[in-house]
Amino acid sequence: MRLDDLALDNCLKCSLCNTVCPVLAVHTQYPGPKRLGPELERMRREGISTDTEWVEYCLGCHRCDLACPHQVHVSEMIARAKAEHRKPLIRNLRDWWFARPGLLGRLTTMLPALSNFALSMKPVRFLMSKLMQITPQRRFPSYTWPNLLSPAISRKEKQRVVFFPGCFIRYNRPALGRVVIDLLERNGMAVEVASSECCGVPALANGAAAEARAVARANIKTLANQVDSGMRIVTACSSCGHMLKTGFGGILEDDREFAGAVQQIARHTFDLAELLMEQADAGKLNINFRPANLRLAYHAPCHQRSQGIGRPWYHLLRMMPGVAVEDLDAGCCGMSGTYGFKQEKYAVSMEIGKELFTSISAAQPQMVATECATCQLQIEHGTAFKAIHPAEILLQAYDEHRS
Amino acid sequence: MGTNRYDVVVVGAGLSGLVAAGVAAHRNLNVALVATGAGSFVTGPAWLKAKEIQQASAAPDLGEAIEYFCELASLAGCPYAGDISVTRFLPSILGDFHSVALAPLTLWNAELRIGISTAIVGICGLSSFDENFMAERLTEQARLITSGCTYTARQISLSRDMGVPVTTLRIAQCFDRDPAFREELMSALRAAASGFKRILVPGILGLETSAEQIAEFERELGCQVGEIPTLPPSIPGLRVYHHLESCLHRIGVELYRGFPVNKVEIQDDLCTGIQVDSPGHPLNLHCRSVVLATGRRTANPLGGEFAGCDLQMRPLTSTGSVMARNLFVAGPLPHSSAGDHGNVMHILTGYRAGSLAASTRGNHAA
Repeated sequence: MRLDDLALDNCLKCSLCNTVCPVLAVHTQYPGPKRLGPELERMRREGISTDTEWVEYCLGCHRCDLACPHQVHVSEMIARAKAEHRKPLIRNLRDWWFARPGLLGRLTTMLPALSNFALSMKPVRFLMSKLMQITPQRRFPSYTWPNLLSPAISRKEKQRVVFFPGCFIRYNRPALGRVVIDLLERNGMAVEVASSECCGVPALANGAAAEARAVARANIKTLANQVDSGMRIVTACSSCGHMLKTGFGGILEDDREFAGAVQQIARHTFDLAELLMEQADAGKLNINFRPANLRLAYHAPCHQRSQGIGRPWYHLLRMMPGVAVEDLDAGCCGMSGTYGFKQEKYAVSMEIGKELFTSISAAQPQMVATECATCQLQIEHGTAFKAIHPAEILLQAYDEHRS
Repeated sequence: MGTNRYDVVVVGAGLSGLVAAGVAAHRNLNVALVATGAGSFVTGPAWLKAKEIQQASAAPDLGEAIEYFCELASLAGCPYAGDISVTRFLPSILGDFHSVALAPLTLWNAELRIGISTAIVGICGLSSFDENFMAERLTEQARLITSGCTYTARQISLSRDMGVPVTTLRIAQCFDRDPAFREELMSALRAAASGFKRILVPGILGLETSAEQIAEFERELGCQVGEIPTLPPSIPGLRVYHHLESCLHRIGVELYRGFPVNKVEIQDDLCTGIQVDSPGHPLNLHCRSVVLATGRRTANPLGGEFAGCDLQMRPLTSTGSVMARNLFVAGPLPHSSAGDHGNVMHILTGYRAGSLAASTRGNHAA
């Protein structure tokens, strides 16, 4: 357990957090995690105002937390300062929307064709950059009619799991959701799709603490019963997984009512690959793979690393015959969800991504596999390579055996 | 099949843990390295002091261990210069000389040498390094050892805005990422070096730079370059860490970074694995043997029951019985007294524990 009350005094100012910060490496003015986290935290706890716009530049990648030899929650301290930070009106308005991808998804998918058309139009993107400070350099992912439903459950003795899709799969890529369900079913599990809200990562990242608490409470209410009946929660988005495993506790720490449920949910949440790898360890993984001829590069998203589960996707992909996988291990992609869409942060975001882009070009894969949707957006924006969720590659390998 | 089964699991990424993991991996074993952050050696120069070599000289395997470490460092791209039988005087951040037997090449290049005109080059705005102080102190300190060594201070300015204060980390990161910055630094250093055979700079020459790249830098500069270690984060120390870690990754060691080990699973007198305190639910790693190289005070998962170790590096309980025959300790853990035991001891115990773990066949938790 990462004990918060111990965490601040555990900081020995060794600066290891600074050495791994992707923003610090590219932005010469950025004060870095040590300063914005534990150093200013001492003042904040004394009630001394230290509000600075720099907290907005933290990616929330958690690399500082992982590098700390003494388990100081560096990025959590910065996230809290972010929630207190006062933003200028336009950014405040923009970030209000960015904090609510669920609401955005529900609205845009009422008329997905119209939304996609509007979001792709140059004049609209120009206006968004002027009025909302959203960079015109990027395209929004397209929205789709949200039609991800729980499949019919055929046999009762199967292991039942809850699939937590998250906003991107629900509103942008329901087809990927069906891939996940298919994979789980092929491995002997019966799947229910959670009627969940946004996981809350975008809310935290955009400094909307109240919204983060609201979605966390709503999610706990919908998931608690399923978890109590022993069902595991499966995530295919690394940020959702990270949040369910670590975040609810931090957001609702003053909320005793939810403490037990938060822990239960964290304990029962598994990344899709983590779960499949567990099946593999037990000799229960369906390995009827069709031999392929595929050269992949794998990028581990930051919120995959922060789950502390090793590299399950990398190892799963390597089990497929005829698939060569290179683990790029080239740092953060720089996108960090909505961060890369923000006009004032676009250049930083792209500069951070450079190392990854270079390593992808050097690897010359047929495609890049990474489970984070916004990492995929960034890779396709910064390179000429296609980036897809590894679940799709895994399912394709089964395809020939579909009866 | 599966990922959570290993021959050897090493806990801790200080010099002892890195060496132990390397030894086991070089014996073609399936190795995992679990660590929260880097070991504390990265805050220092990562050199091996002559006094520590002296203190460890009774160990029959000292030569072997140091030889292996040097091989590993060379393979990793950060070769060490020196030998267990030599002593050189290397400058420290305080402007005095330390007796050192082995050191990373760039630090070795800063050794006290007679008859070589040397400039100490500082950078305008850089915190934690003062070239005037350094030149004055080193000249004075050198006189205590030998005659004919003087140091001259020079300062360069860089056009780039690097924030306030400028840190060695900032410069090293620019050095790694930006060819234009290296060019500018090069031409500024070239001007400062004119009339000198050698320049000494604070540790700034990149976090990822290989020995070849530094040699290339020297060739272009036209004189020898040595680094003086600075306050944490020490760039020379971090550079060694980065190189060793990525070398282990290359030779197949699986790295689990970021979370502490909170439990060592022991049944009867056999260790079956460890438990990593990952978010949500623990990550269990099963293995044939375990090396604990965690450090004494910060993260010892054996807790109060641990009372030293036997000659085979196996931890003992307070009653003197062996905790598990396939569990080994390295780094500061084997020592009864607290405090720093130095890089030499850490390499030696890491080498020993890694070798023992590699040749121990505990039951695989099948």
